[in-house]
Amino acid sequence: MSDIILSAQGVGRSFGKFRALSGITADFQKGRLTSIIGPNGAGKSTFFNLLSGAFEPSEGRIIFEGRDITGTPQHEFARLGITKSFQITTVFPQLSVHENVRIALQALVSRYQIWKSRNSLPELADKADALLEVVGLTERRNRAAGTMAHGEQRALEIAMALAADPRLLLLDEPTAGMSPEETKSMMDLILKLASQRTVILVEHKMKLVMGISDRLLVLHHGELLAEGTPDEIRRNETVKRVYLGQREH
Amino acid sequence: MDGITPDLLALQLFTGLALGAIYVLLALGMSLLFGMLTVVNFAHGAFYMLGAYAGILLLGFGVNFWFCLLFAPLLIGGIGMLSERFLIRHLYGRGIDYPLLLTFGLSYIMVETVRIFFGTQGLPFDTPDALQGASDIMIGYFPTYRLFVIGVAILVIAALWLFLERTPYGLIIRAGARDPQIVRILGIDVARVWLVVFGIGTGLAALAGLLAAPLQGASPEMGASILAESFVVTVVGGMGSLVGAVVAGLLVGVVVAMTSLFAPEMAQVAIFALMAIVLLIRPQGFFGRAGLMS
Amino acid sequence: MLNPDFVARCKQHRVILAVAFLLIFPLLMPFKAIAVNILIYGLYALGFNMLFGTLGLLSFGHAALFGGGAYACGLAMIRLGLPWWMGIVCAVVIGMALAAIIGAFAIRTRGIYFAMVTMALAQCVYFISDQWVSLTGGENGLRDVTLTKIDLGITTLNFVDPLTRYYVVAFFVAIALFVLSRILASPFGAAMEAVRENEARARACGYDVRATRYLAFILSGGFCGLAGALQALHLSIVPLETLAIANSGLVVMMSLLGGMGTFFGPFVGAGVFLLLENLVSLWTVHWQIFVGAAFVACVLFFPRGIWGTILLGRGR
Repeated sequence: MSDIILSAQGVGRSFGKFRALSGITADFQKGRLTSIIGPNGAGKSTFFNLLSGAFEPSEGRIIFEGRDITGTPQHEFARLGITKSFQITTVFPQLSVHENVRIALQALVSRYQIWKSRNSLPELADKADALLEVVGLTERRNRAAGTMAHGEQRALEIAMALAADPRLLLLDEPTAGMSPEETKSMMDLILKLASQRTVILVEHKMKLVMGISDRLLVLHHGELLAEGTPDEIRRNETVKRVYLGQREH
Repeated sequence: MDGITPDLLALQLFTGLALGAIYVLLALGMSLLFGMLTVVNFAHGAFYMLGAYAGILLLGFGVNFWFCLLFAPLLIGGIGMLSERFLIRHLYGRGIDYPLLLTFGLSYIMVETVRIFFGTQGLPFDTPDALQGASDIMIGYFPTYRLFVIGVAILVIAALWLFLERTPYGLIIRAGARDPQIVRILGIDVARVWLVVFGIGTGLAALAGLLAAPLQGASPEMGASILAESFVVTVVGGMGSLVGAVVAGLLVGVVVAMTSLFAPEMAQVAIFALMAIVLLIRPQGFFGRAGLMS
Repeated sequence: MLNPDFVARCKQHRVILAVAFLLIFPLLMPFKAIAVNILIYGLYALGFNMLFGTLGLLSFGHAALFGGGAYACGLAMIRLGLPWWMGIVCAVVIGMALAAIIGAFAIRTRGIYFAMVTMALAQCVYFISDQWVSLTGGENGLRDVTLTKIDLGITTLNFVDPLTRYYVVAFFVAIALFVLSRILASPFGAAMEAVRENEARARACGYDVRATRYLAFILSGGFCGLAGALQALHLSIVPLETLAIANSGLVVMMSLLGGMGTFFGPFVGAGVFLLLENLVSLWTVHWQIFVGAAFVACVLFFPRGIWGTILLGRGR
């Protein structure tokens, strides 16, 4: 077994009386692509938000590279080496595509300097261009981000998530609302990224991730239903029952 | 400070409750508007001021004080409804700042209009004959009019509660506050609900202004400082919470009354200190939903 | 709407263009005193707009920062006997310190709460100044903030002369414009843009949203404090009303009238507002009714303000 980069230890979250997620314990291995799947309302998004620091868990702890990061503020995550893409497209709509990525890069080196010019950091501009190349947005460089097609905005989001050169990349339904062609190229991109770093992917559509994941976690009603390789999950009777009658789209 | 006896403290507590009653009426209206329409009414102070002047106007026509209590809020509530229908309504869905800015501009127009018709100087407002003097309330004598203010506030709170909880219209308003979509699906004209809510909210502000007038007179500027104070009450009680408006309104009134007893020059500052403390300990206010603030 | 290329070219040289304009501006105005007023309120609006336009934070308590600066300058000169330029330094520092205190509470809240809490805290400053008569003069305001001559070593400037006074004030405004321009072009300026555009994404990128807002608030306090000090020197008195709610509202109106979020919009707004006030008050004392109506019309029909509409078209 390879070493563990992230581990959730009895992590749960309640909203008022509603218990969205209860006591999940799971390890994520370094360099692997792990997908978290489950039907609607299974608690996938809650789990994702706990792992990525958007919410604080109401119970349990989260360990990243041997360090307890439970309760660390969201804005510290990029510096820790964890970044994410959101379920709903989240870019800086009125800024240019290039500036979107440049700002993401800048967050790691300069956040409060008020007297320097932002152009005095030319290496950031070059790095931003390199990242746009990776996600295939070079031609869109000077467009306002909000005016791009949905799929392109999602690709931009990934470029921004890559800015911190994260050791762990968290993606929340990266293909949501995409056309089949866009989905295809996004999946290719994810595979490319997964060859260089650890990726955790939350996905509603089971079929989509079966082929590319190293491991799968299946959530149901806020609990961990099953865990294993795609083959193991495919054979798992309980998982079959949960997904039975659930039309995939 | 030997003069401070338990009886004096108790009387001062009543003074605080009377002042608090005015705050409660203002904050109820403000919370209603925010809870239902997510409009922060920066003209709330101006409507309060209009209430007092509506009273002066009606008394001038020979209407007696008791009818004033009914007609002044109706009149000003009507103006509130007109401004909702023709101005504020166009701004729903355009971001929360715009209604706020518009009502702020509106308050200028209202204040200046009053100056044109009633002059820039403040006007006295006599306490109605029947309510003059003091009454024995076991612990000592207390101004009758202040007791009356407390009584009116209790009546209004009860009426508002009955209206919201026990009438079909109240049900629609409460449902609309939670989810405007549902009300629309049920085939109810939401725009009418908004109009009514705006009328009630501004009418309550007018009633508060009318009740306050015999205590401090009427002046075109009387709404400006009370606006900041009613913000404090809504922040302390929790934005959009009617229970919060009542509790915080009374609390702020009592705090002002008590500080004026011990350190009169600190009375105004105490209100804001109270808000600062609440913000530090419980940013969403006593009865506000957590998360609303951040 | 102007040609975007032309706008972009002008933007690069906006400080130089602004300084050139400041030099000829008093020659276009009917009286010099109004030109000075426009500069001071323009600067005040500029400082306010740094929060509202750049970060989308609507403060209704900026009178505390402006007035705080005015009192700081006056008190430094009268009570401490410091020279006028030290008064200005004190004003900037106190403006920032007051912003740090008010901001520490207000920044915990957002949107409308921010507007309400800033207004309430500014009102608190007003009452403190009202009550602390021995220090501030209470209701009568702080009197005798006199500056008649400025000794530059090689020559002496007569501050009583309206045109000289204008250029002294314009000098400080030009410095402020330069500083503000630097801040907006800095990495921190980029962080502010990020926070305004998308808070969640800014946070995920690694920007501390609250700290960014807090720092912006403090910087804004510095500009407003400076404007307040210039006002104190210009009027030779600090009226208590400098701290009143109306003065907070005034700057909101000016910014919206001119166009929030544009660099010069606040200046245009201050100019139009004060000229309008002067013109209308010639034939009626009730000029505020027109101001209120103009403001309502602006909110309804020109949300981008005068300058914003010229630059970008009407929009929304």
